[in-house]
Amino acid sequence: MGDFEAQLRKFQKELSAGTVSLALLAVLAKAQEPLYGYLIAKELERTGDGVLSGKQSALYPVLRNLEGAGLLESHVEPSVAGPPRRYYRINDEGRAVLRQWIAAWNATRDSLESVLEGVER
Amino acid sequence: MNNQSNPRPLPTTIPEYLEQLRAALAGADPAMIQDALYDAEEYLRSELAEQAGKSEAEVIAGVAGSYGAPEEVAEIYRETEVTVNRALRTPAAGRRPAPVPPMAGAAAAAGAAVAAKPRSPAARFFGVVLDPHTYGALFYMLLSLVTGIFFFTWVVTGLSLSVSLLILIVGIPVLLLFLGSVRVLSLVEGRIIEALLGVRMPRRPAYTDRSQGWLARIGAMFTDGRTWLTMLYFVLMLPLGVAYFSVATTLLSTSLALVFAPMAEVVFDQPVGIWVDGVKMASGVWLWPLSIAAGVLLLFATLHLARAIGRLHGAVAKHLLVRL
Repeated sequence: MGDFEAQLRKFQKELSAGTVSLALLAVLAKAQEPLYGYLIAKELERTGDGVLSGKQSALYPVLRNLEGAGLLESHVEPSVAGPPRRYYRINDEGRAVLRQWIAAWNATRDSLESVLEGVER
Repeated sequence: MNNQSNPRPLPTTIPEYLEQLRAALAGADPAMIQDALYDAEEYLRSELAEQAGKSEAEVIAGVAGSYGAPEEVAEIYRETEVTVNRALRTPAAGRRPAPVPPMAGAAAAAGAAVAAKPRSPAARFFGVVLDPHTYGALFYMLLSLVTGIFFFTWVVTGLSLSVSLLILIVGIPVLLLFLGSVRVLSLVEGRIIEALLGVRMPRRPAYTDRSQGWLARIGAMFTDGRTWLTMLYFVLMLPLGVAYFSVATTLLSTSLALVFAPMAEVVFDQPVGIWVDGVKMASGVWLWPLSIAAGVLLLFATLHLARAIGRLHGAVAKHLLVRL
């Protein structure tokens, strides 16, 4: 039983590793204003619990990577609650990449669905 | 989800949580630890501000579910760091590129562009031109003259100004401003080093314990060895910068001059040969290929030297700027 659960966890981890960048870009593309890490995490928690079966701490390094890849822009603002916050905003390159990723995701989802069709549940 | 890998009791305060996280990350890259602590604090403080009325312990108990318990967070950062490094690094000479994990997305495409086969010693010697860090290091050597002079001046001026003004009350705020500026400059230099030399440096400022009063925090700045090591690094940057700059310019101009010497005779009608004290020792067309060959060899040796200096300097910077 525990073996099954470990396998399920591993599978969920791999799934979310592949999709979390897409989800983060989508959240930031929908947002009207720049968001910081915590707000992004909460937004994802509210709208999509499927992707976020993992822990939210995993989002921060991914945000940093996306910025490093030139898809996001960021600036730092001081906050009363704690350390200064880094606000992220999607740029034009990010939007272009997001469009491609969405197309790739739709293709993957469609082909997977047709493969899964008729499998006993 | 149940998780058995949680032997320690949950922390009840934010400093405790961060302390456990630091302990769980022990042995990892210090720059990554600094980033992880910074991220965790931002999340925890935001959550605490969001859930006003709840106690710190309750909030942290909730956070362990959403953000993760310290051990889980440590695990996540360790894994992500490995994945990201593998994706971002251009494959080293003679090694196959690792399979690119899906998460790295666009960054991976750029990183995995060059695939390398096992190569001969000669290919390795000349392959230095394909390593982006070579040019980063070369540029860093040239840049370090400017940054070295600036850092040195900043530290020496700041120190002498604030220490001499300490007799008056104004000296205290000046000293504090100066110490704060040293931290910021340390982060800036870290960014330069990571960009040019490819050594992982902190991307977030050092973590400070906000639960203490401001007096204790100021005191901590003085007892923190990193403050003093950073200043030492900045002072060292002047001689190092001068040395790097001289070595880089001398070797580059010598090797380029050797390579292009025949061109001087062909295009500009300048005599080319070897003179010692104004006496011509040798000249002629037979010297041209030798000159070009010597120049090319020296140029590649210079690139190797630059890369080696870059690695060495990265290690020095890491020890002085991000000791934990």
